[in-house]
Amino acid sequence: MARTPHKKTARRRWSANVVLTLGLVVLAVVVIGGILVFDRSDDGPAASGETLVPAVAHRLSTAEGDRVTLVEFLDFQCPACASYYANVTRKLEQDYQGRITFVPRNFPLDMHPLAMPAARAAEAAGKQGKYAAMYHALYDGFSEWAVAGQDVNSDVTAAIAKFEQYATTIGLDLARFRADMTSAEVQAVIDEGVRDGRELQVTSTPTFFLNGEKFEPTGQSFGDVDRELRAKIDEALAG
Amino acid sequence: MTPNRRLAWLYVLGGGFGLAAAVALTLEKIAKLRDPAYVPTCSLNPVVSCGSVMDSPQAEAFGFPNPLLGIALFTVVVTTGGAVLAGFAPPRWYRLAMNAGAALGVVFVHWLIVASLYDIHALCPYCLVVWIVTIPVFWYTTLDTWPVLAPLRRVHSVILVLWYLVIVALILVEFWDYWRTLF
Repeated sequence: MARTPHKKTARRRWSANVVLTLGLVVLAVVVIGGILVFDRSDDGPAASGETLVPAVAHRLSTAEGDRVTLVEFLDFQCPACASYYANVTRKLEQDYQGRITFVPRNFPLDMHPLAMPAARAAEAAGKQGKYAAMYHALYDGFSEWAVAGQDVNSDVTAAIAKFEQYATTIGLDLARFRADMTSAEVQAVIDEGVRDGRELQVTSTPTFFLNGEKFEPTGQSFGDVDRELRAKIDEALAG
Repeated sequence: MTPNRRLAWLYVLGGGFGLAAAVALTLEKIAKLRDPAYVPTCSLNPVVSCGSVMDSPQAEAFGFPNPLLGIALFTVVVTTGGAVLAGFAPPRWYRLAMNAGAALGVVFVHWLIVASLYDIHALCPYCLVVWIVTIPVFWYTTLDTWPVLAPLRRVHSVILVLWYLVIVALILVEFWDYWRTLF
C-alpha cells in the first residue's frame, strides 16, 4: 500500500491529475451538450392542431366537430403502451365511441426493433381503410409478436409473417398490404408522427394530449390513471 | 489521511452504496415474485426500466438473482474498509484476495453493462449505482496492490473519468434517439 506521506506527493499530483480530470469532465459536458443542442430539430414547440392531428392521422373514434380530442403517441412494441391499451385505452375507446375524437400517432422508438415494421403494418392497413382493425390486432396480439420470452423480440421475419396473418384475418388484400408496407408513402406518414412528437416534446411512449394539453397522470396504478383520464375527458365534455 | 485510509473510506462509501443498491434490487425482486404485475419503483420510462432488466436471463447469471451476490460481496467491501479504519493492516495475501475479488466484480459488471445496453435495451438505476461504485473499488484496489503501477497513481482520477466517459458515451449512443427527445 502506498504509505508515502500524503502531503509531500499531494501537491504535485493535485495539479496534474485534478486539472486533467476537470478538463476531461468539462470537455465531455461541452461535447455532449453541443451535440444534443445542435442535433435537435430547430422548430420550437407549437401545439397547433395540425401538429397533433394532421390530415393523414387515423381516428379510432370521431366526435362531432372534434370537440374533445385525445391524441396518443405510441410505439406498437412498447410494453408500457401495450399495458395502457389493455388497462386503459381499449375500454376507453369503446366507452367514449363517437363522443371523443381519439387519434393514435406513430412514435416508434429505435430501441424496439419491431416498432417500425408494426407501424408500417398499421399504416398499410389504413390504406385499405382498416387501420383500427390492425391497431387492435397488433395490441391484442402483442404477446404473439412483440416479445420473445422475457425480452423484446427482434425477429422481423417472424413478426411480418404474423402481421400478414392479421392482415388476412381482417380481410385485407395481402398483395396490396405487402406493397404498402414497404412504400415510401407509408414511411413518410410514420416519419411525420415522429417529427410531430419531437416537436411536441414527447419524451416517452405512450404520451397523451387531451385537447392539446399533455396528460400527465399522477396515479400509481392503471386503475388510477384510467380514472384520472376519464375525469379529464368528462370535464372537457361537460365544459 | 494516507492513501491507505482513503482506500478504506472508498470501501466504506462505495461498498455502502453498492450494498444499498443490492438490497433495493432484492426487495424489488421479492415484490415482483409476490405479484408478477408489480411495476418496480425504478421503472420510469422506456429506457430507465429496471423491470425489463430484472426480468432478463442475465439478471440471474448464476441461477439466482445477482443482487444476492451483491449483498454478500459489498458487505465484505464495507467490512474491510471499516476494519482498516479501525486499525487493521491487511497483509499482502488479503490485499491480493481483495484485488482478485474486485477484478471478478468489475468483469461481471462490464458483462452486465453489455447485456443491459445491447440485449435488454434498458437501464436500471440501482444497477447503475453498482456499476459506478464497482469501477473505482477495482481501480483503486489495483493501484494500491501493485507498486509497479505507481506512475498511474499520478493520473488516477483521469483514468477513472475516462473509464466512466467511455460508458457514458456507449449509453448515449445506444439510446440517442431517446435522449434527444428530452431536449
